Amino acid sequence: MAPDGYTGKVLRVDLSSEKISTEPLNKEWARQFIGGKGLGARYLFEELKPGIDPMSPENVLSIWTGPLVGTLVPLTSRYVVVTKSPLTGTFLDSYAGGFFGPEMKYAGFDGVIIKGKASKPVYLWLNDGKVEIRDARNVWGKDTYRTEEVIRKETGEKMARVASIGVAGENLSLISSVTNDLTRNAGRGGTGAAFGSKNLKAVAARGTLGVEVNDMDSLLPMVKEMIKTDVVGNPDHAGMITDGTPVLVEMSNDAGILPTRNWHDGVFDGHEGINSESIKTRVLVRKRACFDCALACGSWSKVKAGAFSGAATEGPEYETLGLCGSNCGIKNVEAVIRFVEDCDRHGLDSISAGNAVALAMDLYEKGILSKGDVNGLDLRFGNEEAYAKMPGIIAERKGIGDLLAEGALRAGRKIGHGADGMVMHVKGLEYPAYDPRGTIGMALAYATSDRGACHLRAWPVATDAYGSADPWSTEGKAATCVEDQTRTSVKWSFIFCDFYGVNFPNMAKYYSAATGYPSSEEELRKTGRRIWNLTRAFNFREGFARKDDTLPERMMNEPLRSGKTAGKAVPKESFEKMLSEYYALWGWDEQGRPTKAALTDAGLGDIASKLPGLG
Amino acid sequence: MSKGLKADLGKCTGCQMCMLVCSGSHVGKFNPSEARINVEDVFPEPGEFKINHCVHCDEHPCVEACPVEAIKLNDKLGTYFVDRETCTACGACVDACPYNGCWIDPSGSYSIKCDLCDGDPQCVAVCPKGVLKWGD
Repeated sequence: MAPDGYTGKVLRVDLSSEKISTEPLNKEWARQFIGGKGLGARYLFEELKPGIDPMSPENVLSIWTGPLVGTLVPLTSRYVVVTKSPLTGTFLDSYAGGFFGPEMKYAGFDGVIIKGKASKPVYLWLNDGKVEIRDARNVWGKDTYRTEEVIRKETGEKMARVASIGVAGENLSLISSVTNDLTRNAGRGGTGAAFGSKNLKAVAARGTLGVEVNDMDSLLPMVKEMIKTDVVGNPDHAGMITDGTPVLVEMSNDAGILPTRNWHDGVFDGHEGINSESIKTRVLVRKRACFDCALACGSWSKVKAGAFSGAATEGPEYETLGLCGSNCGIKNVEAVIRFVEDCDRHGLDSISAGNAVALAMDLYEKGILSKGDVNGLDLRFGNEEAYAKMPGIIAERKGIGDLLAEGALRAGRKIGHGADGMVMHVKGLEYPAYDPRGTIGMALAYATSDRGACHLRAWPVATDAYGSADPWSTEGKAATCVEDQTRTSVKWSFIFCDFYGVNFPNMAKYYSAATGYPSSEEELRKTGRRIWNLTRAFNFREGFARKDDTLPERMMNEPLRSGKTAGKAVPKESFEKMLSEYYALWGWDEQGRPTKAALTDAGLGDIASKLPGLG
Repeated sequence: MSKGLKADLGKCTGCQMCMLVCSGSHVGKFNPSEARINVEDVFPEPGEFKINHCVHCDEHPCVEACPVEAIKLNDKLGTYFVDRETCTACGACVDACPYNGCWIDPSGSYSIKCDLCDGDPQCVAVCPKGVLKWGD
């Protein structure tokens, strides 16, 4: 068979019986769902019993690449962890760049499906088609940096790439992540707990098998041209090359949507200490790219002096600067670097951790939590010394950390006194760093994302708060969300990085040259609709519907305080109107349930027939 | 004087696109392990990149060390390349090279090193940060 960019192999591991097997990739599904998100969702839908506890051995944990991963097609270094989310109970797809994804493919596998639970801590070792379940005693309890190092030593492969959990994942924190290449995280939704609940410390890979594409002779010149014109020379990427995501700090602050002091404000008086300029002038060591990336948005940064001297990270990225910076009242990028290095080492999602710590700070300032409740710390907004201790406290579940490790919503519910109402989340997943009260499109994006509040499924903020459209008008916002969700469903299936603004025609070109399958914008749009309908169907099967596509009451009845968004909230009737419009555009019913007709039209007739109760 | 690639290490971001295009054009698949150039990254400390490749030095100790005369002259470029058919993968060139410029292919069947793509080095064409240069 002609090469098509896939390895053609899926690895299965049952950690309970220690059974390892390799099977051919389901090529029919690959044609329908590409890879990454789509293919992962299709396998998960097939193999996961509805209604199971995501932390039980019955949950299915999988890792996927895509047909372009490991090729020279630019910005395709990602892998995705697909499972039922320990944090939200929804479908979960969490992505990370770096070097692990391509290495897993070079080691011989498009995907890895892990079931059961090991009787003692283990890690998986994937090496040129060979697979071992190895004793993880030497790395259990160790941070992710050290875990990478020890596994390289144990396997004798200094080029091995490792995706591991830290202490947070071992302790089953619902906001724990999977970390690879030191600073890259499949962060959201509790991927770390999905590993930890299976006693799985890490998946490590080293491969020299390579990836074969269908038409190297046409792919190479095309990609060389695209790197120049569509990546490096694309004016939309200019900010990513010079600054990376921190460029958004000033843009959000100007727009009044920068999360500040647990979402009480959208403008931060300390923005100058955490913006891109502060990184470039105070901490930047050098730019560092993920594998196969011509942009190199990452900034290797190191604190040069002061209390946090020596702390280093790649970034910090915008979401971290917003949630762990302004949202915690932190005015110095040096403190944020200390915090996020500790998040990476402990394997914590910095978006969720920033929200959780900001909640604790808010509750402490309001007197709902006493100093005794917060491990004896003076946990005021902006107190860097206390703040910097929090990642460790959460990961180790010490005192208040035991509550916060469950995510902000569960912590709020346990604390009581209305604390849960102060948490900004959808379906339990804490908000990323765009306040919907100044970008109503993001209100819809958060509410309808398949994994809870997420900025990577639709990003209408680009055209409203950051662009020229009215950020408070609902006009066209539902259509923007539908368009974005269709496009990102395809992007996350190849798997492209978020920061490549690749359009449908170019995706089709890459896809055809790499796989040999004919493709077109129209066909890929249909694939995108198929994938988004599939994750909707998954969540419907788990009991989710319009009742869950909501925002916290605070968004509706607590206006922001200053700047362009002063006095603004999300009007409930506007939100509900957008939501109805959105469901209608997808062909779903008023309750947000997918319909037989919509699923069948998207090529999911077989899925529709497995879902009782569809309209 | 060295006739090989020049690398401005300060500009390198470690993306390894050079390794991808090198393997793609030499062996017809994307496989960094089969590339004739190698980017090593050393993070978190000291936080730098090192690029290994044949510098096409004038002394070419690899040529002298090769027991089967597998390292041959490219008349057009005046540089040496490994003739895969003749090479026995004995590793003498690897040991002789002071620049870490050649190594044994993962298949274990021959030594590989930069051949400057017969005068059109693909890594130079692809490098998005202008790290790699060749010629004047």
